[in-house]
Amino acid sequence: MSAAAETGYRVPLLLRGEIVEGGDMAFGGRRGGVSFTAPDVAGHLGELVLSTPSRMADIAGLPFAEIERFLAALGERLDPATNPHLAEAFALACHTSGLSRSLLVEYYRGIPGMLQPDAVRDVAERMVGLDYLNGWVEQPRGRNRHGTLRIRAVGSRAVHIIAGNVPVVGVATVLRNAITRSDAIIKTPSNDPLTAAAIVRTMIELDPGHPITRHTSVAYWKGGDARIEDALYDPRRIEKIVAWGGFAGIRHLTQYLQPGLDLITLDPKHSSSLIGPEAFADEATLHEVALRLALDIGTMNQEGCVNARVIYVLSGTDPAGLERANRLGAATYAALQRLPDSVSTPHKAFDRDLREEIAALAFVPDAYRVFGGQGNEGALIVSQDGAPVDFARQLACRVGNIVPIDRVEEAILSVNAYTQTIGIYPDRLKAAVRDRLAWQGAQRLVSLGGAGLDQTPGPQDGIEPLRRMVKWITDEDLGAETFAPFRAGQEPG
Amino acid sequence: MSIAAAQLHSGLAALLEGDFGRGYRMARAEREPLQLAALRDRFAALRGSIGALGRLAEEQGLADINRLEDVVPLLFPHTVYKSYPLSFLEQGRFDRLTRWLDGLTTLDLSGFDSAGIDTIDDWVRRLDAQTELAVIHTFGTSGKLSFLPRTKAHTPLAVALNARAIRDFHGHGSGPDLLVERRPMISPSYRLGASSIARGMARMAQDYAGGLDQALFLYPDAWFSADVASLAGRIKVAEARGEMGQLQISPALLARRAEFAAREASRAEDMDRFFAEASRRFAGQDVFLFAVWPILFEWAEEGLQRGLRGLFGPGSVLTTGGGSKGRVLPPDYKDQIFEFLGFERHFEFFGMSELMANAPRCEAGHFHFPPLVVPFVLDPETGACLPRQGTHTGRLALMDLVPESYWGGFVTGDEVTLSGCDDVPCACGRTGPRLHPEIRRFSEARGGDDKINCAGAPEAHDRAVDFLLEQAR
Repeated sequence: MSAAAETGYRVPLLLRGEIVEGGDMAFGGRRGGVSFTAPDVAGHLGELVLSTPSRMADIAGLPFAEIERFLAALGERLDPATNPHLAEAFALACHTSGLSRSLLVEYYRGIPGMLQPDAVRDVAERMVGLDYLNGWVEQPRGRNRHGTLRIRAVGSRAVHIIAGNVPVVGVATVLRNAITRSDAIIKTPSNDPLTAAAIVRTMIELDPGHPITRHTSVAYWKGGDARIEDALYDPRRIEKIVAWGGFAGIRHLTQYLQPGLDLITLDPKHSSSLIGPEAFADEATLHEVALRLALDIGTMNQEGCVNARVIYVLSGTDPAGLERANRLGAATYAALQRLPDSVSTPHKAFDRDLREEIAALAFVPDAYRVFGGQGNEGALIVSQDGAPVDFARQLACRVGNIVPIDRVEEAILSVNAYTQTIGIYPDRLKAAVRDRLAWQGAQRLVSLGGAGLDQTPGPQDGIEPLRRMVKWITDEDLGAETFAPFRAGQEPG
Repeated sequence: MSIAAAQLHSGLAALLEGDFGRGYRMARAEREPLQLAALRDRFAALRGSIGALGRLAEEQGLADINRLEDVVPLLFPHTVYKSYPLSFLEQGRFDRLTRWLDGLTTLDLSGFDSAGIDTIDDWVRRLDAQTELAVIHTFGTSGKLSFLPRTKAHTPLAVALNARAIRDFHGHGSGPDLLVERRPMISPSYRLGASSIARGMARMAQDYAGGLDQALFLYPDAWFSADVASLAGRIKVAEARGEMGQLQISPALLARRAEFAAREASRAEDMDRFFAEASRRFAGQDVFLFAVWPILFEWAEEGLQRGLRGLFGPGSVLTTGGGSKGRVLPPDYKDQIFEFLGFERHFEFFGMSELMANAPRCEAGHFHFPPLVVPFVLDPETGACLPRQGTHTGRLALMDLVPESYWGGFVTGDEVTLSGCDDVPCACGRTGPRLHPEIRRFSEARGGDDKINCAGAPEAHDRAVDFLLEQAR
């Protein structure tokens, strides 16, 4: 146990600009055995929810320039070197996160950049449309030549159940809530209960009365606490639930669904790679492909859903084909070891079950070649008989499984609704198979190497979460002519 | 009666003659030299013929074992007996499965003909028929069964070790010698099958009861199917991950669904017959009963509802264990069970399919290992052996010195607290290594548990059959 585990962390409850402290309840964290205390949310439900929707008026009336200004000012204060709340969140993350310190440093450093005006505007424009966020947009004339249709994207009241695998999720949630002029109750995860709280607490210090502050709350309760969830997940109090997270967690939420309550799920996903025979054209190409594959496996230490886990390679499965796949395995393993510390490191808490599974592969030497995996440095497992390892779903901590195949169909058929990103080499293979991958369930097709790099704002997991976070309201002018046919026989007698 | 234990090192074999209970009271200075000698024998004999053991020894640069702890780097991961790829089963590659198993035993399986085998059950039965193996399988962690290369000699040996513990654990001759004083045996389970329990029970029917006419099984004629057990595990995992749509079922298994369905349909009838037979044939007699607590409770609950109580004679013996994992039992479950059974003498064991000699539970609630097993506690992070002195909590590793044809050393998935490697006695007065009552899976300790243990197996088995039936629609 670390010193932090003994002292424990205090997680505040942030209620519409108010800070509630005092640890009524104790919770155990996930990794690192860190525990923390937090106020009992059940005692504050009245202030937490926005029962009267008309209280949205203040945030709805904010000019977009003011949203940009406020977020930029907030971003400037989110330097972990000077912000004690963020520094504390960072220190806790160093214990609880699967990410190494060097990676966490990069992520926390990147937070202000996410809130700069050009970044904010980019998200608003691409993920909803600024004109729809800022006003009523007149639509092209349709069949009714007398009528006019205008549409506006209006904020909603939502609970956001966020994930704790990477700290950017909390920042993105604050950002998304602000630009959609919505009301957010952010439920933080036990493996990162402080980052979102640090951001919102800074917001309170910046301006406790600002409409964005008044419409951003942060709470921790143990998922499944019926005292809280029965009251909260009710269409009279919220309109949307945005849930990141595990299968069991999402299934738990479905019991609360009813007309008037919309569930937006950003499910747990797995990602993979597809590599064409062109990778083996020459040594230089092989090494380029190995580097790009190492990036897809290694960025964020494979803690993200975007990271490659099973890698289908069109190397062929005859002895020469297996040899090609093995060479790619060796080169990728080497490239993984050379990635800079700011991008990827040996995993600080290598999964023990996974280690046992890898150790057991030595008992079927004709079925697998394993590069690495001795310590925490990661591994490339090359299947020698056409099937992924049985523990493919557990691949983590920078362990990839290369599966040599003869025909691209084998890779396509492995794709399903739980497949998020597929990194593909070369791009022309991507163009050739993209429709079929999409039908199977794949949600993001990207040049090999780009899976974990900066993502252009756009659809996520096959849906448009921001366009679903807002309500699309229509305003219809019909014009007097519309009613002409009904007037006959209506004259007063 | 002498036990066929010629394969044991002489010092340990001697323990099986006379007072077996002495093994639970030995001083360290007596116990450890015996264990070390047996361990060195096993290592010398197996390092050349079990490839993986030889490789490990080579990697570690270990030529000889001089202290018990030296074996720790040579203990197999507990995943070893399920290290075959699942695709071998899905694609019916029983030739490759056999080759894999061949690497884990000194027996030569190269001549085994696997042609035409398309289910695990068939594979096990043909191995039974054609080789010295009597493979046992587990109930399936993560949908994969472990297969242990036990031999036909191992089954009676394990049954005899169990009888010795019952006779001598509470003092030499304090319990009945089941191998001599035969008595009816009752098992609310399967007679046929290759799970460790099914094989053990079938043998006990012979050695403790003196034949099938003195034994009563819930399922006397049905085979506990390894294929269904495997499917049950895979279903459980697929459900937890929301991937039910992706399960691949072999056509051979689908073809047998009518057989499983018939058994499902007659379950209530079988239960009625079992109760009726138990009271008609064995009421008032001293019996031997073997079942885990949750199954016993189910049985007692049903029996008490039918007005049955005090069913058996006061000299009966119950062996049990398995905890109550996965099922919530009322606080007075033992009282209800004993009221129904009519006796209280029972033995609880800590054991697992991978282990041949189990550890009985003492009056103080601790599980005492006989000297045939060397327990270690490892640092869960580093895998290093914790001091063999005092009390330590960590990952349990075991060196089973009994089997001679496969390597008995493995690291478990259990988090335990171990005392008594030194000479500090237990509250019950015995000495030697023992586990404290709190035992949990590491996966459970981290908030997830997808292990189907023996106690939960019948339920999972039923769900697997339901799933097979759905495939027909």
